[in-house]
Amino acid sequence: MELSGDVLIPAPRAVVWAALNDPDVLKGCIPGCQSIEKESDTAFTAKVKAKIGPVSATFGGRVALSEIDPPNSYVIAGEGQGGVAGFGKGSARVSLTDEDGGTRLTYAGEAQVGGKLAQIGSRLVQGTVTKLAGQFFAAFAKACAKS
Amino acid sequence: MYSFDYARAKNAKDAAKLLAKKEAKVVAGGMTLLPTMKQRLAKPSLLVDLAASKDLKGIKKAAKALTIGAMTTHAEVAHSSVVKGACAALAALAEGIGDPQVRNRGTIGGSIANNDPAADYPAACLALGATIVTTQRKIPADKFFKGMFETALKRNELVTAIQFPMAEKAAYIKFPNPASRYAIVGVFVAKFKDEVRVAVTGAGPGVFRVPAWEEALAKKWSADAIAAGAVKAADMNSDIHATAEYRAHLCAVMAKRAVAAAK
Repeated sequence: MELSGDVLIPAPRAVVWAALNDPDVLKGCIPGCQSIEKESDTAFTAKVKAKIGPVSATFGGRVALSEIDPPNSYVIAGEGQGGVAGFGKGSARVSLTDEDGGTRLTYAGEAQVGGKLAQIGSRLVQGTVTKLAGQFFAAFAKACAKS
Repeated sequence: MYSFDYARAKNAKDAAKLLAKKEAKVVAGGMTLLPTMKQRLAKPSLLVDLAASKDLKGIKKAAKALTIGAMTTHAEVAHSSVVKGACAALAALAEGIGDPQVRNRGTIGGSIANNDPAADYPAACLALGATIVTTQRKIPADKFFKGMFETALKRNELVTAIQFPMAEKAAYIKFPNPASRYAIVGVFVAKFKDEVRVAVTGAGPGVFRVPAWEEALAKKWSADAIAAGAVKAADMNSDIHATAEYRAHLCAVMAKRAVAAAK
């Protein structure tokens, strides 16, 4: 499935870019994120507990950044394994542009879910992804505005 | 299934106490929780069974409201002469949930506490302006449903009953998934003396009202008053069963049929 959207963050572009590359900021914004560790400047490992309705599963995964063009855009790609629950992976191009009142963050990409989660939860996957993306960007905008 | 402990609560208060244990889950009919556990997608440490909590069962009618206990099954609601007399639309809705096995096990409290985005009861609660009675307080339906699988319920808080005000006319029409009978789109319309309420389930990430149709129907109670376009495809779900555009279209069609069927 495809996902895309944009959000206005009330902070200068340099601040937003720094936050996008800061594991601590990302950890605080990813819903259910329990840990995130930097392996190199472009790779992280993360542990995320996803809880949607009756389902709860812990995903361990890796996140990699590529096509880095500071402070304008990068491509973020991640994949995670949730044990018996299944797996998820996705990537998105994130771009920043200056705008009155702050920085416009635009994202476009795609996500896939497989295994048992996809089999049982197919009717819920899109709603879940949209909701999690919304929660992430709301928290991220708040974190940037603070710093 | 992972192993878990099991406790039978004697009443709602007892259940709330048992729920204090970490990772404990309450089970009503178990129509969603048990399949999830069987698939190992949930791992509660303790299941608190409400089946023996008699204080949570039963249907009562007073002058202004119909009260249904949280542990009342869909089949009991569907076949209750009290419900049929007070709100036939509610009995018909219960009769259309799932299959006989689900209707004999599943409960109204479990359905609304789970708040599945395609469940039927949330539409009835929202359109009828029900009050959700819990172990701690009374919550209006407008404040209870918070989007996909989310409610205003706190941890350790249980739904004990649902109070439905009497509508002059009401109906629920859904376009069911032929396999699961979950609503691809379901619309509940309710006409009261001084207002009209319209609630849609299955179409978006959670149950929602349509103010444009409510105003139009309050002026003129007729299927013609439903204008397509009040529900936007951008806000709809899209999956293998129906695209967002098709769901938006179905909302208007189901709403018109519900107004025509209301009595």
